[in-house]
Amino acid sequence: MKALAALALLVAAPAAAAPLRVASLNLCSDELALLLAAPGQLVSISRLGADPAETPLSARARGLPSNRGRVTDIVQLSPDLVVTSGGDPTAAATARRLGIATIELPQPHSFNALRVNIRTLSKALGRTATGETVIANINATLASAPAHRASALLVAGGGVTIEPNGLAAAWLAAAGLRQQPVPRGQISLESILSNPPQYLVISEYRVAQASTNQRWLAHPALAALPPSVRRLRTDGRAWTCLGPSLVPEIIRLRAAMAARR
Amino acid sequence: MNPRRLSLLLGLALVPLALASLFWDPAMLHSVAARDPGLARTILIELRLPRTLLALLIGGSLGLGGAAMQGLLRNPLASPDVLGPSTGASLGAIVAGYFLGGGVFGVALGGMAGALLALALLLALAGRGAATNTLVLAGVAISALGGALVNLALSLAPSPYALYDVMFWLLGSLADRSLPQLALAGPIILIAGGFLLARGPQLDSLALGEDVAASLGVNIARLRWLVVVTTGIMVGAGVAVAGSIGFIGLVVPHLVRPLVGNRPGAAMLPGALAGAALLTAADLAVRLPVNGQELKLGVLTALIGAPFFLWLVVKDR
Repeated sequence: MKALAALALLVAAPAAAAPLRVASLNLCSDELALLLAAPGQLVSISRLGADPAETPLSARARGLPSNRGRVTDIVQLSPDLVVTSGGDPTAAATARRLGIATIELPQPHSFNALRVNIRTLSKALGRTATGETVIANINATLASAPAHRASALLVAGGGVTIEPNGLAAAWLAAAGLRQQPVPRGQISLESILSNPPQYLVISEYRVAQASTNQRWLAHPALAALPPSVRRLRTDGRAWTCLGPSLVPEIIRLRAAMAARR
Repeated sequence: MNPRRLSLLLGLALVPLALASLFWDPAMLHSVAARDPGLARTILIELRLPRTLLALLIGGSLGLGGAAMQGLLRNPLASPDVLGPSTGASLGAIVAGYFLGGGVFGVALGGMAGALLALALLLALAGRGAATNTLVLAGVAISALGGALVNLALSLAPSPYALYDVMFWLLGSLADRSLPQLALAGPIILIAGGFLLARGPQLDSLALGEDVAASLGVNIARLRWLVVVTTGIMVGAGVAVAGSIGFIGLVVPHLVRPLVGNRPGAAMLPGALAGAALLTAADLAVRLPVNGQELKLGVLTALIGAPFFLWLVVKDR
């Protein structure tokens, strides 16, 4: 493993002072780290980041040891940088007490906060150029957003939905979809039927696994929505962290909408 | 009061409740119907109809099951929601649906099996005219164990929505139920309930004591077996569709029994009707928006039922 890391170092050659043994403890820091780190720079990510059912980026994590989000899981890997994003609030403090450099990435509520997270981590990794590329990619996606927005409702199983003013709704807007003004949390089938959106965007997440929420999506009343309500499917995994992995998803949604017109 | 007259009155009270449940928020229905009559019909038939009928049927089954269990065990605290069968049904439904890959029918079978198992365990621990505290202790232990196992099972289940699932199975909900779920649970509850109602006269004789009942020609072992199995099937089918809803089975028999001369058999039909009325009313109340979200049914029935439980304790002290 060490030889491999050294080899990767030669190939990728990050900045001289950059940390070489980076451990990420939570799903959303995993996603950013997997995108930004040089090959070999990461020594561990959380088990969620390694799970193909949780993130579209898990393929990049192949072969990396995974942790359960605790500092005890990674100390023996002697990391020189620990990255967290929520989860156990004491983890970052514990890592610092052990003398390990630590970065906490707060959950972003706006694109600006997301850009700050990307810049913070890419700078710490010595990968500012990569970070700026990722940010430019996001900016380009936002700049090319359709001017006209159709009304939409993003729902996952059980009617779990997003708030109309948050970052998720802002991503949706980049696809040309305006989230209906619904209360946070869960929406009932009755509310959907009484005020149907132009686009029903169904977030698919672990679809093969049984759950009362999953069964909700098969309710006959949803199938009885008028044909004027178009359906779109979206990869639910990308909507957990609301990070750069939504870029391809938004572009895909635009194409799916264009195909339906 | 004459039980028949009481039943008639309660039956009449169900009509406005059922209509209110069916045509809740008429302004919304009206505006939808003006825009798209087909959509309004879908709301009424696919959503409101199963919700209303399931509230009536499941509320009725809980009231009836409570009356039957209290009559059979001659114990005022016996009821499916306090002594374990409801939680057992939740557990059975979860095991069948999440681990054995059962469909809607499998989940219902699991629910019934779970309720029966919990009842069998209860009777094995505290059968045959056991003292009140033995029965209640056994029931509370089974109920607590069931609740813990529900949590454990959902933690182990590969469910992406485990937290929502715990809330649903332990607190119950009638929101967004479907016609197929009604078609599954409805007939089972009706048949088992009718069968249970027919045992009323025998439960009345049992109230006079086992010896008297036996001398009146009641086969007590058979009666016990029949009441337990039918109650388990009835409660299990309801829980498989709506989760375990607390307190209705405990409270309702106490409300109606004094009105029918304290005869447990005679309290069964009015108990079923009062249970139907209470659950339908509770299901109307949860639809009043609190912070934009619907409350879970079990939260409301517990808010009504728990003070009643306390009142029972104080009254008997």
